[in-house]
Amino acid sequence: MRRFASYPDFREGFVEMLPAAVALVPFGLVCGVGAAAAGASLAGAIGLSAIVFSGAAQILAVQLLAAGAPLAVIVLTCFVAGLRFLIYSAAMAPYLRPLPARWQNGLAFLLTDQAFAAAVRRFDAGGDARAAGAHFLGSGFALWAFWQLTNVAGYFAGNLIPPAWSLDFAVPLCFIALVAPHFRTSPTIVAALVAGVGVLALASLPMKLNLIVAGVAGIAAGTLADFAKERWTAR
Amino acid sequence: MDGALKLWSVVVIVGVLNYLSRVSFIAIFARRHVPVLLARAFRYVPAAMLTALVLPMIVVAPGTPVIASAPRIVAAIVAGVVAFVTHSTLKTLATGMLTLWVLQLAGSAFG
Repeated sequence: MRRFASYPDFREGFVEMLPAAVALVPFGLVCGVGAAAAGASLAGAIGLSAIVFSGAAQILAVQLLAAGAPLAVIVLTCFVAGLRFLIYSAAMAPYLRPLPARWQNGLAFLLTDQAFAAAVRRFDAGGDARAAGAHFLGSGFALWAFWQLTNVAGYFAGNLIPPAWSLDFAVPLCFIALVAPHFRTSPTIVAALVAGVGVLALASLPMKLNLIVAGVAGIAAGTLADFAKERWTAR
Repeated sequence: MDGALKLWSVVVIVGVLNYLSRVSFIAIFARRHVPVLLARAFRYVPAAMLTALVLPMIVVAPGTPVIASAPRIVAAIVAGVVAFVTHSTLKTLATGMLTLWVLQLAGSAFG
């Protein structure tokens, strides 16, 4: 770690991610509170946040554990919710291609919604792929480290936070901060509209399957709208 | 099944599955080019997936009165505008939470 920390791009990535890491504090607290409420030991709660390292999957896991759902249901639900990582992985692949396999496999572990958004911005800015990779490592490590601290804090201090504060609302706000800046082109807005209407219309599907069905429908709609727009402007 | 064993099974299995999802295409497409159609579709992944993830957290379950989620919907729209303009997670979070608290206070004062 010390070797990486000497890279200026690593430090730059780490520092650039700090505002987002601070903004994730309430999200991490909510996850820690949930782990404690589900009866997890401290080691179990840290295992969830350090190894699973996905707020959405952690919240689903502790809710289903607390509800006494079978192991197979919990695993499948978290896997389905984490399928968006497949798509992030595919989107990151061209950027990471110049890097050695060891870097690719290591950076993949740090692929989260926030790190993905930051990495796409950094790689799109151009320059040396290895420098952008070190930047990704720095931003991903910042998120991971803060995530562990806030999860543990939530585990211990959770029941000190009054419910009237509606701390859980911080979770959708973190995702809104990621998605709203994308709404600049008409195909993007079509993609979000189809996904949004779909996820609410299919809310009765079990195990959060509506997330994947609506997400894929939104991606397809956005892509079609993109081709339609291209044909229209080419005329 | 013992509670601790079940929790650790979730940690290990979901941890491995999540990592496989994250590494999948990075490993597959490391040696070849991404097809054009797929590359086009990737542009719309964040907008579609994040919208699908976030809306059920704002709009409460069907069957409950709309009024129950109204403060959250309004706060989410305000936060969305702030995010669009500022690109700042911190500012989005601050305005979103403040808006929700003000609306909830107003709701309990007048409702």
